[in-house]
Amino acid sequence: MPDWVRVRRESFGLLFYDTRSTRLTFVRSGDSLAPPPFTGPRRALLVNPVDEGRRPAVSRLLQSLVAKGLIVAPEPQ
Amino acid sequence: MNVTWEITEACNLRCTHCLSAELWTERRGELDLDQCRALIDELARMEVFQVNFGGGEPFLRHDFLDILRYAHYRGITTCVSTNGTLLNDALVDELLRVAPVYLQVSLDGARAETNDAIRGRGTFARILAGIELLSEHGYPDLSLNMVVTRLNVDEIADFNRLARRHGAKTRLSRFRPSGAACSIWEDYRLTRDQLLALSAFLGDHSEILTGDSFFALTPESRRALGLNMCGAAKMTCAVAPDGSIYPCAFLCAPAFLAGNVTHEPFESIFRSSPVLERFRELEVDTCRSCDRFSVCHGGCPAVACFLTESLDHPDPECLRAVMSVKEAVPVTEAMPVKEAVPVREAIPAQEVA
Repeated sequence: MPDWVRVRRESFGLLFYDTRSTRLTFVRSGDSLAPPPFTGPRRALLVNPVDEGRRPAVSRLLQSLVAKGLIVAPEPQ
Repeated sequence: MNVTWEITEACNLRCTHCLSAELWTERRGELDLDQCRALIDELARMEVFQVNFGGGEPFLRHDFLDILRYAHYRGITTCVSTNGTLLNDALVDELLRVAPVYLQVSLDGARAETNDAIRGRGTFARILAGIELLSEHGYPDLSLNMVVTRLNVDEIADFNRLARRHGAKTRLSRFRPSGAACSIWEDYRLTRDQLLALSAFLGDHSEILTGDSFFALTPESRRALGLNMCGAAKMTCAVAPDGSIYPCAFLCAPAFLAGNVTHEPFESIFRSSPVLERFRELEVDTCRSCDRFSVCHGGCPAVACFLTESLDHPDPECLRAVMSVKEAVPVTEAMPVKEAVPVREAIPAQEVA
């Protein structure tokens, strides 16, 4: 996760906050994503195991978060 | 997720509409630096995104920069509402080092005579000097805030141009009957037609910032005269200078005291106070049939409470309460209508009871 983004768990999923704009992004992710610690180095959003059928939706969600600059795609290992 | 923190009672101005003035008739003291740090620690543990510092004038506190630095150290973004009169080169440089500190400078008109009638003689020039200083430094996170009243509503377009000239965003705040504003409410409040005109202007200027429970965020909703849902006790709350907790900065009367952080942890107050619980459950039943109920829930309880002595009352400044949607939507046509009617007079009691 970029340094400038904060994220917290909410009943609907995750709430992202971009410190560069103070913009909030509400993400109905259910339990598919787990937030990292509020601050600190090398924070990463964790993707929980989901059913095969939900994977495309989770994938689209992640792509959308990347497009908004709220997460960055991991470098290939 | 965000907290409004009136960090000091002290102020070097005496604005006629100040939400904080007259709330504390005797000085009750302020949290000291250690207490402020402890509260910031707790806010960070609760994953609060943003603290909006106000007052009083925050920069009158000698340790305010220490408080700001500590909030940023704990990962909390800060916004400071200031009257801008105490800014100097050294202070601006320091704010730039702490960045991002979102600065919101209060100015209540595009003309000196308008602003000075509200904020005091000579203040327009002093505030503008502060704004120019920020502009010279290329301050990146600057907005100019105007509380919209009957006195300055006709200057909004000029105010917006003034802000842009200084590289700042425009923020319009709703005039609410709190603190000193209670005594001038009838003289300063917008008429129905002024509210309509403001709504139309906001619809055409989506770049202009507004507070919550003011007008909606999208141009479409603004044109449809929508208010936003009150976040008090749900997404936000207010901390008074002495550590008292209230649902919001406009509801700091004793009846709304939820607790004090010098006696009880903030988290415990926020999660368990009956006062805040009451606000979380607040829904105005008479608004349920409105198509914006899901995003508004009845508007601002602070305005409703002052005008009706009830929290369960629809926001008296919701124009939808007095107009059908068909009438309300084409606001540009509705603007030049007949003589201005104060909103409270225009609301038939049976429709909003």
